[in-house]
Order: sequence, then structure tokens, then C-alpha cells
Amino acid sequence: MKTIIRNVAFGLLGASVAAASVAGPAEDRAAFQKFYENRFPDTPVDDFKNGVYSILPAAREQWESIEEFPPYELAIERGEEIYNKTFANGKSLKDCFGEDGAVRSEYPHWNKERGMVMTMELAVNECLEANGEKPLKYKKGAMADVTAYMSYNSRGQMVNVEIPADDPRALAAYENGKEHFYTKRGQLNFACADCHMHTAGMMYRADTTSPAFGHATSWPVFRSKWQAMGTLHRRFAGCHNNIRANPYKAQGEEYRNLEYFVTYMSNGLEFNGPAARK
Amino acid sequence: MNQGMKALVLGLALSAPLAVAGNGTTAEHIEAATAAYKQLAKDTGYQWTVTVKAIKAAQKALKEGDDAGARKLAHQAMDLVEATRKQAKIESETWQMRVPK
Ligand code: HEC
Repeated sequence: MKTIIRNVAFGLLGASVAAASVAGPAEDRAAFQKFYENRFPDTPVDDFKNGVYSILPAAREQWESIEEFPPYELAIERGEEIYNKTFANGKSLKDCFGEDGAVRSEYPHWNKERGMVMTMELAVNECLEANGEKPLKYKKGAMADVTAYMSYNSRGQMVNVEIPADDPRALAAYENGKEHFYTKRGQLNFACADCHMHTAGMMYRADTTSPAFGHATSWPVFRSKWQAMGTLHRRFAGCHNNIRANPYKAQGEEYRNLEYFVTYMSNGLEFNGPAARK
Repeated sequence: MNQGMKALVLGLALSAPLAVAGNGTTAEHIEAATAAYKQLAKDTGYQWTVTVKAIKAAQKALKEGDDAGARKLAHQAMDLVEATRKQAKIESETWQMRVPK
């Protein structure tokens, strides 16, 4: 009798393990989004694009009044100038990204020829370099400005990242980003998922953590703490520093794969950058 | 940091094997810690900021003639590398638990 029960139990276990191991990105995303919808039933799904303000009614009002006179407005203006500036060779960023640079929803994407994740920031620098211009620093300054302009013009586009099934390397990059998100790192032994998933909405020092659903939608941001604009990879590095993990290189493979995973998890939300943050 | 976290961090640090304390010059001990740090980063991608800090502090102490202090810091760095290695191993085996199904 006992053996039978055990066999049945093992059988069940075997079945659930098998089911788990075939779960691909689409199943991951459904479970990921469901997690947040269950955890924050009062948040309309399309509002997760607003970061911590999607779950913090108390801070929402002040944030909305900040967004009325947004601190990133000057960055958009500076970005527009950079965008339209004529290169020494007579071309400009327009030759790479069109009249207004509204290409936000094209990134990040899997580049099959090169076998790597392409991000918007990387594409901007490659355009500059291909035209004999100097590349920009990835975390702040002119890069944040020009991507603020491009994101602003892209507002309302939907996040729709693809993991092409015909290239196993794309899935590997996704899996790499996924593993990064769920593994504990740094001397303080935290995973992104610890703060931004399993304890999302709780306080860490003076800050409430945002849901990771929506994490990639609103970049770059003007952060009061920085008193300046910063890119997504700047934020990744900040979170790593806080847990005493050495940050990785902005736009290096590790962070690009992490962005690929995180953005894919937000498929179906709107891109709404740039944004203001505490 | 909450208490549970503190205990865990302490646990990782304490359970790290003691670095060999005897042979070699202090400069060699610092070099060994640096090499171990780099090798681990290459193997696993895991790096702690505190390890880099301990290595830099050891180099500084040595330069200032504080051999005993420098040696102690080098051993601290080595212990941190070991704790990091442990973290990387545990995580590679358990991270799937955190993925919602
Ligand atoms: C110790 C907790 C903690 C960990 C671990 C952590 N973060 Fe954060 N993170 C925060 C806090 C606090 C903020 C600021 C409040 C918020 O969430 O917007 C933040 C902000 C962010 C933001 C900005 C959200 C926004 O809307 O502006 C992103 C993106 C982010 N983290 C990504 C990550 C990633 C990726 C990891 C893993 C590499 C990570 N974080 C690890 C605590 C953490």
C-alpha cells in the first residue's frame, strides 16, 4: 500500500518536473505576469508600466504632479538637438533611426547575424561610430538625453520582444537573463526576484520596491536621487552595488541579456519613457 | 538588512574555509587573493564589491608598511572569494525554486 502511494507520488512528481522543464519563454511570461496580477489585484494590468507608483497610492499623487512639469523635459530638448545634429560626414542619427527616432519598440531584439541581443543604446553608438563620430557613455549624459527624445517620440508603442524559435542562441541569451534575475548575488545575498518579485512592495531602507513587471518600459528616467537622467543599465548597476555585487559593464552581454529577459516579461505593456523617479 | 539576512551573510562568511595563513610573503598572499577573485569571476560571473575593497585595502596597508594588517586583509579577501564561490554553487542548484510556475 505504502509503496503504491509512493509510486503514485513519484509519478506525479516526475510529471510536474517534466512539465516544468518544457516550459518555454511564453509559459514563463504568463506565470510571471499572473504572479503580479495576483499579488496586486488593485493594479490595472496596463498600469504596471508606472513602476512603484502602480502599487503605491500614497506616493502616486505627488508623482503625478511631478510628471505635470516633468524634470526630464530639458533632457528631451537636449536629446532632440543631438538627434538632429549633422555629423562631419553630412549624415545624422536620422539616417539610422528615421525622421523622429520613434523606434523604441524595435529594441531589445535578437540579432541573428551577430548572435547577440541588440539594445537601443548600443544601436545609437553603432550608428555614431559607423559615421565616424565618437560613441557616447552608456549610463548618463548625452546617451540618456538622446534616448529620452527617441523614447518620448515612441510613447504608446507596445512592448513586444521576440525570442525567435529558429535560433537556439536567442533562447540561451534569454535563459541567461532569466537565471540572472532569479539568482542571489552580492555579499548581501539578494536576487533581483527577492526584492522586485517575492517582496515587491516592501521597504528596503527608505524605498519601496517596484514590481519587475513593467521594469523596462519607462527608460531613461530622471531620478531625484541622481538629480539627472540615467539609463536602465545605470539602474541595474545601482541595484548591484546596493547588494554589494560588482556591477557588470553597461551594454555588456550580461546586462543586455538581463534586459532581454526583463523586457520580454513586460510584453503587452506600453513603452512610456522617459519618466520621473525618486 | 533584516536579521535573517544578517545571519545568512555571517553564515556564509564564517563557513568559508580559512585561507592558508603560513607560507609566503604578504605580497604573495595579496596576489593569490587577487588571482582567486579573477578566476572565480571568470568561472561564475559572481563578484562582490567587498572583496575588491579588501584587496585594495591590503595593497594600501602593505605599501604603508603595515605587513600584519595587509596580510589579515588579504586573508579576508580570500575568505570572501570562498564565500562567493559557495554562493555561486548554491545558486546554480537552487535558483529555479524562485521562478513562479
Ligand atoms: C535589496 C533589494 C533590491 C535588489 C536585490 C534589487 N533591487 Fe532594483 N531596486 C530596489 C529599490 C529599493 C529600487 C527603487 C524603488 C523602485 O523599485 O522603483 C529599485 C529600482 C529598480 C529599478 C527601477 C524601477 C523604476 O521603475 O524606476 C529597476 C529597473 C531595478 N531596480 C532592477 C533590478 C534588477 C534587474 C535587479 C537584479 C540585478 C535588482 N533591481 C535588484 C531594490 C532592489
